[in-house]
Amino acid sequence: MNSFISIEAIARRFGAQPVFENLWLGVPRGSFTCMIGHSGCGKTTVLNILAGLDAPDDGVVIVDGRAIEGPSLDRAVVFQSHALLPWRSVLGNVAFAVASRWPDAPRAVVQARARAAIARVGLAGNEMKLPAELSGGMKQRVGIARALSIDPKILLMDEPFSALDALSRGTLQDEVRRICTDTDQTVFMITHDVDEAIYLADRIVLMTNGPGARIGEIVVNTLARDRTRADLHRQPGFYELRNHLIDFLVTRSAALRDTMPPGHDNRHPPEIRLTPPRSTQETPCAVNS
Amino acid sequence: MSPNPFDPAARLTGCSCGAHASQAAHDAGHDARLRRAVETTLLRAIFPNDTNRRAFLRAVGTTTATAAIATIFPIAAATEALADAGPPEKKSLKVGFIPINCATPIIMAAPMGFYAKQGLEVEVVKTAGWAVVRDKTLNGEYDAAHMLSPMPIAISLGLGAPAQPYRVAAIENINGQAITMALKHRDRRDPRQWKGMTFGIPFDYSIHNYLLRYYLAEHGIDPDSDVQLRLIAPADMVANLRAGNIDGFLGPEPFNQRAVYDGVGFLHVLSKELWDGHPCCAFAASQKFITDAPNSFAALMRAIIDATAYAHDPAHRSEIAAAIAPANYLNQPQIVIEQVLTGTFADGLGNIRKMPDRIDFDPFPWQSFAVWMLTQMKRWGQLKGDVDYAAVAREVFLATDARKLMQQAGLSAPATDTKSFAVMGRNFDPSAPEQYLSGFAIRRT
Amino acid sequence: MTLSLAARGAILSLLILALFLAAWQIAVSGGGSAPAMDPEYAKLMGQSAVTGHSAMPGPADIARGLWQALRDPFYDHGTNDKGIGIQLAWSVARVAAGWLLAVIVAVPLGFVIGMSPLLGRAFDPFIQLLKPISPLAWMPLALFTIRDSGISAIFVIFICSLWPMLINTAFGVSSVRTEWLNVARTLEVRPIRRALTIILPAAAPTILTGMRISVGIAWLVIVAAEMLVGGTGIGYFVWNEWNNLSITNVIVAILIIGLVGMALDQALARAQAAVTFPQ
Repeated sequence: MNSFISIEAIARRFGAQPVFENLWLGVPRGSFTCMIGHSGCGKTTVLNILAGLDAPDDGVVIVDGRAIEGPSLDRAVVFQSHALLPWRSVLGNVAFAVASRWPDAPRAVVQARARAAIARVGLAGNEMKLPAELSGGMKQRVGIARALSIDPKILLMDEPFSALDALSRGTLQDEVRRICTDTDQTVFMITHDVDEAIYLADRIVLMTNGPGARIGEIVVNTLARDRTRADLHRQPGFYELRNHLIDFLVTRSAALRDTMPPGHDNRHPPEIRLTPPRSTQETPCAVNS
Repeated sequence: MSPNPFDPAARLTGCSCGAHASQAAHDAGHDARLRRAVETTLLRAIFPNDTNRRAFLRAVGTTTATAAIATIFPIAAATEALADAGPPEKKSLKVGFIPINCATPIIMAAPMGFYAKQGLEVEVVKTAGWAVVRDKTLNGEYDAAHMLSPMPIAISLGLGAPAQPYRVAAIENINGQAITMALKHRDRRDPRQWKGMTFGIPFDYSIHNYLLRYYLAEHGIDPDSDVQLRLIAPADMVANLRAGNIDGFLGPEPFNQRAVYDGVGFLHVLSKELWDGHPCCAFAASQKFITDAPNSFAALMRAIIDATAYAHDPAHRSEIAAAIAPANYLNQPQIVIEQVLTGTFADGLGNIRKMPDRIDFDPFPWQSFAVWMLTQMKRWGQLKGDVDYAAVAREVFLATDARKLMQQAGLSAPATDTKSFAVMGRNFDPSAPEQYLSGFAIRRT
Repeated sequence: MTLSLAARGAILSLLILALFLAAWQIAVSGGGSAPAMDPEYAKLMGQSAVTGHSAMPGPADIARGLWQALRDPFYDHGTNDKGIGIQLAWSVARVAAGWLLAVIVAVPLGFVIGMSPLLGRAFDPFIQLLKPISPLAWMPLALFTIRDSGISAIFVIFICSLWPMLINTAFGVSSVRTEWLNVARTLEVRPIRRALTIILPAAAPTILTGMRISVGIAWLVIVAAEMLVGGTGIGYFVWNEWNNLSITNVIVAILIIGLVGMALDQALARAQAAVTFPQ
């Protein structure tokens, strides 16, 4: 597989306790990858390592052929808590990122680019508002606009919608899916929400429970690419996929921590492809790539 | 005549008065005397230790030493400068004062033009306390200042502050203090009844402290164990008397009279009644200022001596009271100042008393005053060990300069630097201070 | 009829003030009996001694004194007698000088201490030791070493303003939210720009709190310092009037000191509000 992001044998320990060890994962260019797992499985740590905010104790992460050393403007982060600078307006927050990306750009260019990013997330007209004047959903839109405004090679999102109410979350998922599909943005996202992963992700990485978490399997989303949130549950194979994920989270994530199936290879976690069901008897087939 | 400072055999720290071969020699030549004075000062500055000076002179010879020093310091010029005052080196001067009547000559010289007459522009700056006056003079913010007359002695000896050569150029006032008692003690006029009381004094190194201690001790009250003495700023003395925190104070005017005026106290005894003619405050300057700007210093001295002489005349006292009472100076009701200066005053017990010399002004810095103060410093443990009374007195109290300037001003100046006097009937002989000291029953030595 | 809470509060405030003034007036106007006194003797005595009235001035006396002081605040009758406006200007200038010096030192130093846990620990014992020293205790030392009472007063203001600002700046800087710093890191913001665009605005409310505490302390201290060294300033004015035992003018000065202190505090409060961001 030609991986745009290649996580190679990374380990992270806090004290003697490993959060994870010998973790391998490839992310193809232009794909939307979601990582799901219970708290403590180290998914945020993985994201922080990808962002360069944290460093692995062992192993290396290669992005676009180069090992990462610290944060980079190539990898934009959407934080769970949106992390807007409360003393800056919406425009100021986004322009801060744009000016960081293009330090020599004239002010007008920076502003225009920031305004465009704000418009893209549907916040046109709110440029001069302070974060405190925005709803949670709007704040996270600004966070996404800020991340997108710098044209990152990779968008990293750490449970970006978890703090939002259901309605805002839905709308925002639509926006993100539209934008990312339109631009073929490579996205790596952490989530707790199975439905969110099914709707957004091309590939769903399932983590076993920590400590010493591993990638249990990678589920390839085989639902139609033009799926919408409204018709998601009518997509053929939706329930199989959903049940498979929930089953993993509820039972297998714990069981797998204690005993991995024979032949499990950390370097090549099993890649599961649930083909759209023609009959209900069909069983999933494991394919080792 | 002063001992030749270049004579290896002479002792500079000895008594200058006793050194005269005769009165004729004393008056022999004004110029020679001045030159000798300048040389003496200079050599003292170079060799603060007398033994070193003598050793040095023996080693190199007197003539060589004079020549050597003359090359780096224009002795002739300095002598001349002191003899006929040229234009002041520094015209605009700052003189600090504490707003009390003792400062009368220093203050009045400004509004009444005594400084201007000497070609000086003097700013008299009101200052919050004795320690501040001392510090501001030490650090050069003031060129000269109003001080309690024991302070320059203490400063020169390094008591309570780093030692710096300090000089009493003139005494400002004599008398003019009082023991003021709270009205509730009007029937307890015998100091023997004062055990356990608390008294205010303005400063440790003050004539007030020494007089109050003396007065109490003469009545068998030990000022250290039988009563409590508290350091209090003059204005606070009145307030504390009103509040009942102290029973009385020996303080400067106008605060004794102010206590009467405000109806909180009465004048128990005037300091004049303890020691008629006692010095109180002084006009003081650092040796550095005197050396650096001798003409300015001389001009200042002339202004002060003039003003003091003017203030000495009882006929001028009302006019002076009007000049110094306003907010810029003493900031007191004029009637209070007038009662102090004219000597016609209410005593706080319903009587009007008339005592024209209640306060008087006499600039001459008798060196015997300094000797007396030193005996009291020793008596109360402020000064430990042996002290060369006469030498310190001569160093600090510039009787010679004062005499010369007084004569120039056409005033009669005493011919000698020391005199005997009596304090509460006890005679003081300045030539026998140790004997005087050992005559006290209550003392800390 | 219902008034707003603010209006009712204001009415109550005025009522309390009126009550206080009335009580004050009654307390001081209790005329004692005039002692029998010879008229010649009485001429030499003060009002309170002659009439037996309290020496404490009443509100009307204070109002008169206030009017006297404010009618011509900038008169200059010589070195030791200047209008209250001039004295206030001196005090404010000293406070401003010492305080601004403290800002220049404390904010950068606090930044360094706040950003470096190592330096934070290294400086902490000194700060803890020096902080509780009464500013006026520095005065004799300052007079002795600086040898100038005006500069000494400024130094004392400097030293008393320093600690709250230093401590608050260090605290504000060290407690900037990690997520904001992470934003800066992911955007590859250089250290200087990060300090100016993230840490400074984030810590500004805390720093301004320190500045506000400082200016309050400085104003308290300047009055005491000027009472001590004298010469000029509102502290000198208080001392000079106290030396005259003029309670009226002392109270007038106290009122004015309070008003100016309030104004300084309000000015800093406004500055603080300007940099405070809604969370």
